[in-house]
Amino acid sequence: MLSLAILVPLIGAFVLSLWTSAGTRAARATAIALSAVPFALLVAAWIGFDASPGAPLFQHIEEAPWIPALGVAWRMGVDGIALVVATMSALLFVAAAAWPIELGERAREYYAWILFLAGVSLGVFLTLDLLLFYVFFDLSLVGMYFLIGRWGHGDSQSAALKFFLYTLAGSLAILLAVLGLVLAGEGPLTFDMRELIARQPLAGMDLRGGLVLLGFVFGFGIKTPLFPVHTWLPPAHVQAPAPASTILAGVLLKMGTFGLLRIPLAMMHETFARYALWIGLIALASILWGALVALGQTSIKRRIAYTSVNHMGYTVLGIAAAGSLVAGHEAARALALTGAVVEMVAHGLITGSLFLMAGSFWQRTQSYTMADYGGLAGVAPKLTAAFILAAFASLGLPGLAGFVAEFQIFAGTFAVHPWLAGLALFGILLTAALFLTMVRALFFGDRKLPDGRGFPDLSRSETVVLAALLALVVVIGVYPAWLLEPIMASARMLVGGAG
Amino acid sequence: MLWALFLWPVAGGLVAGMGPRSRGWLTAWPAGVLALTLGLAILAAPDAGTVLPWGGGLTLRAGLTPLAHAVAMLVPAVAAMVVAYAAQHEHRPGLRRLIALMLVFVGGMELLVIAADFLTLLIGWELVGACSWALIGHRGHEDAPPASANFAFIVTRAGDLGLFLAAMATFAGSGSFAFADLAQMPPGLLALVAAGVLLSAASKSGQIPFAPWLFRAMDGPTSVSALLHAATMVAAGAYLLARLQPLLAPVLWFGPAVIAIGLLTALAGGGVALIQPHAKKLLAGSTSAHYGLMFVATGAGYPLIAIVHLLTHGFFKALLFLAAGVAGERAGDYQLRHMRFGRALPLTAAASAIGALALAGVPPLGGAWTKEEIASAAGEHSSLLAIAVMLAGALSAAYATRFQLAAFGRDGMDGTCRPGAIEKAALLLLALASLVLGLLWLPGFHDSLARTWDARLPHAEAWELPLSLALIAGGIVAGAALARRSELGTRGVASKMADWMGLPTLIDAGVTRPAFALASTAAAADDRIVDSPARGAAVLGRAAARLFARGDGAVVDRGVRASSAFGRWLAQLSSGMGERLADALPEATAGGVGTGGRLAVRMQTGMTHQYYATVAGGILLIVALVFWGTA
Repeated sequence: MLSLAILVPLIGAFVLSLWTSAGTRAARATAIALSAVPFALLVAAWIGFDASPGAPLFQHIEEAPWIPALGVAWRMGVDGIALVVATMSALLFVAAAAWPIELGERAREYYAWILFLAGVSLGVFLTLDLLLFYVFFDLSLVGMYFLIGRWGHGDSQSAALKFFLYTLAGSLAILLAVLGLVLAGEGPLTFDMRELIARQPLAGMDLRGGLVLLGFVFGFGIKTPLFPVHTWLPPAHVQAPAPASTILAGVLLKMGTFGLLRIPLAMMHETFARYALWIGLIALASILWGALVALGQTSIKRRIAYTSVNHMGYTVLGIAAAGSLVAGHEAARALALTGAVVEMVAHGLITGSLFLMAGSFWQRTQSYTMADYGGLAGVAPKLTAAFILAAFASLGLPGLAGFVAEFQIFAGTFAVHPWLAGLALFGILLTAALFLTMVRALFFGDRKLPDGRGFPDLSRSETVVLAALLALVVVIGVYPAWLLEPIMASARMLVGGAG
Repeated sequence: MLWALFLWPVAGGLVAGMGPRSRGWLTAWPAGVLALTLGLAILAAPDAGTVLPWGGGLTLRAGLTPLAHAVAMLVPAVAAMVVAYAAQHEHRPGLRRLIALMLVFVGGMELLVIAADFLTLLIGWELVGACSWALIGHRGHEDAPPASANFAFIVTRAGDLGLFLAAMATFAGSGSFAFADLAQMPPGLLALVAAGVLLSAASKSGQIPFAPWLFRAMDGPTSVSALLHAATMVAAGAYLLARLQPLLAPVLWFGPAVIAIGLLTALAGGGVALIQPHAKKLLAGSTSAHYGLMFVATGAGYPLIAIVHLLTHGFFKALLFLAAGVAGERAGDYQLRHMRFGRALPLTAAASAIGALALAGVPPLGGAWTKEEIASAAGEHSSLLAIAVMLAGALSAAYATRFQLAAFGRDGMDGTCRPGAIEKAALLLLALASLVLGLLWLPGFHDSLARTWDARLPHAEAWELPLSLALIAGGIVAGAALARRSELGTRGVASKMADWMGLPTLIDAGVTRPAFALASTAAAADDRIVDSPARGAAVLGRAAARLFARGDGAVVDRGVRASSAFGRWLAQLSSGMGERLADALPEATAGGVGTGGRLAVRMQTGMTHQYYATVAGGILLIVALVFWGTA
């Protein structure tokens, strides 16, 4: 089932790339239909997931031998964390495929790349093999490079190149760290994540453990992105087409935090605990710096882009708190980790929809400059309502998804690192300021548009996509139990020891 | 059952937001919703606790202490009259949204009133903040309201951080968020909880230094101001302190700190209201002052008195705002010097007079009794404190008199702009409620109240009431004199003082501007400095690639050319020797090397990412070889 979730979009991408006679509509319909398949499969996997105490950490396991000499195999399986992140990602791919966008002649290739990216991204979350993880992780770079470079606007080539080189440097660091991890310790060579989690290969190795951790933190930190290696993010976002921005923020950034909790946190928790405070400090810097710099931006898209640095900072803070001890404070650490994962889901849905709406601005007037707009509430009430809802969700208003995440992260982190949590609180004040000033500039006051252009309200397909994403944001905010149970089940096992 | 207090108004608000837009429906439906909410609140059993699992081990707890029960009834009662008034009074565009939001606002307030843990409290607390943002910014097409809404939200959210802090500390100390577990907290963490609660209560209730947000909130419609000040939002701070006072009392500095903040605000707010030329802002200043008095009561150890003052204040302040709204509609703005509608609006003036007397603290109105009790409560700690409270009461009498005479003096113009029937009914009902609360003066009534709530009343010294009444009389005389000076507070230093003693300017210069300047600087630094190592690496990489390319061209190419020349020479030599077998080998080598050289030259494209890919491929190859070796 999980393998199908990866293979169906990949095969779809292959078919679309060969199907030269496909028009825009056929290509889009194919992309929507085929990206909906993994979503449906993952929902089914979710329903079949056993979150009760005593259930195994990884479920829905599929395994086929591949390179036995290296201990590499086609291993698929999910814990609660991977399950919810993958399901959210699959939903965002459907939204990205369904989002209306002007493509001109090369629509078929565009949708093929979206499907390709869907397949490899889900692969990152669903695989239980470290080498496959690395392969999928790098392939996602390729897909995003082409989406930004070929369908972006402005100086998209150089933004794409910067993105590619920066994150490739990160993945080289990860590769070295993976090797350092796998080649350490006793026993036959294996890339099986379950085996590595059980083995904790670097336990007791100070210097080597520290270096391997550094490699992972540097590599995943670029992808996340964490301060100070986040500067590839704004140009990539600004130049990318809206659906690509959504995938970049909603799915690709999650690979950084997901990697951080899947590999260093789980497979080398002793080393992680030793350096967790430093990771927490970097997260704190990302939270405050991301929010402050976002407040200083004058472009809609750059402002939203920098809030990602802030929000992913919360996630990393939660992960750092969860991994800061080998034993003790289990309830608080599980809470922080659960919050971190909910933040990944919430950020994907919220920032994903914010970027789609930024795309609506570009589609209508080709401007991201906030000062060009004003008083849009009068002409585009649906866009106004959706934007305000997403903005409040992003600033962590209760009743919406962001609050559930941030509250748990703060409460869990405080028990372990009170100062970090206390200082991080200023992040939610800054995000309130930056979103409210943006909402006011765009939607209230005197009506203003660039060059006196018209500004039609959201079209039907835009409305449907946004309504679906934002409805989930509300549902998670009001009654999050269905989301929290599988995450909490896995989080408890991860903080309780090796799992 | 208890949750219905929250869910029902919210559901009613959603229905109102999607239903018809006619004034009739928008009056009747919310009135029904709020009447039912009031009924639910009355019927709710005190001390009924209920727990709702929220997932991942988190729970939402609700419970009704006697104090909470009283406030839970006050909120829909005042709101019903204010919302009915709004449906009649406010302008047609956006009316449906306004009414719907007000109902949700009431729901959020009820949630924070019934909350029995910090998580539930925080949800209600911030929902109320968001609703007030939307309501203050209701006239979004204008310039000022959206900016004021942002100001109000951000200032109160700064206080909300205190609640986050309190929640985190409670979890760290007890493993849950429940209020009840505060009793087992270690002292250090409990002090942190107290600090957080005080911070958020002060910001919500418009205490110093957060008070200016209440002035900015006046950019919202009048009915919103009435609701905000009397029953929701601002009331939340004073309510929360009273609710948690018994649990936070072990923190030694808590009571004195609460008294200090409250008393300072009561005196300063009174001074501001005294000279404020804008009718609604005068009332807003008085709101800060009276919530300050409630803080004093709570800090002195009498949360019961604070809550009873919250009740009396709720009715008379809503009444005064609604009356000010009618006068403001008539005047076209809210400047007191454009009013004096005593003859044009006789009924409104009469209702307002009852509210003003209650605000002034004149017996036998209920507001007067609660204020005297606050003075007695303060007097149990020190006579000076009691006198300070009485001075605040004198200020209150002065600005109440000034408001009433300036807005509804009988020497002004006649006119025809008359309030509608529902506006009048709302005013009359609120006035009636204020009159009925005069029963509080009866010993039998207030003693039995204290018994039902299992609390005691402060002991009043004999000198307190006469002194207080004398001060009130003095205040009334002073207020009447000031009411004649119509230009008061419109010019020079007085206008600065009237605008919260320059506090907004201070906040602007000390917090807002530096924050935005810092943000712009950070944004520039992020582009120039933080990004520079990456750019430097890119430049370095490109330079290195160019160097390699040149080196390749110079060294490798030359080597290739040399070797192919050598090959040719060898071939010529061998052909010259006439040996066919020796001929084939060097020629092939030369050809191969030549081809290799051409290929190598072609790889030097100068495109960084291709080098990068090559390097990555090479590394992968090496790694793979290493593996084969070890496996």
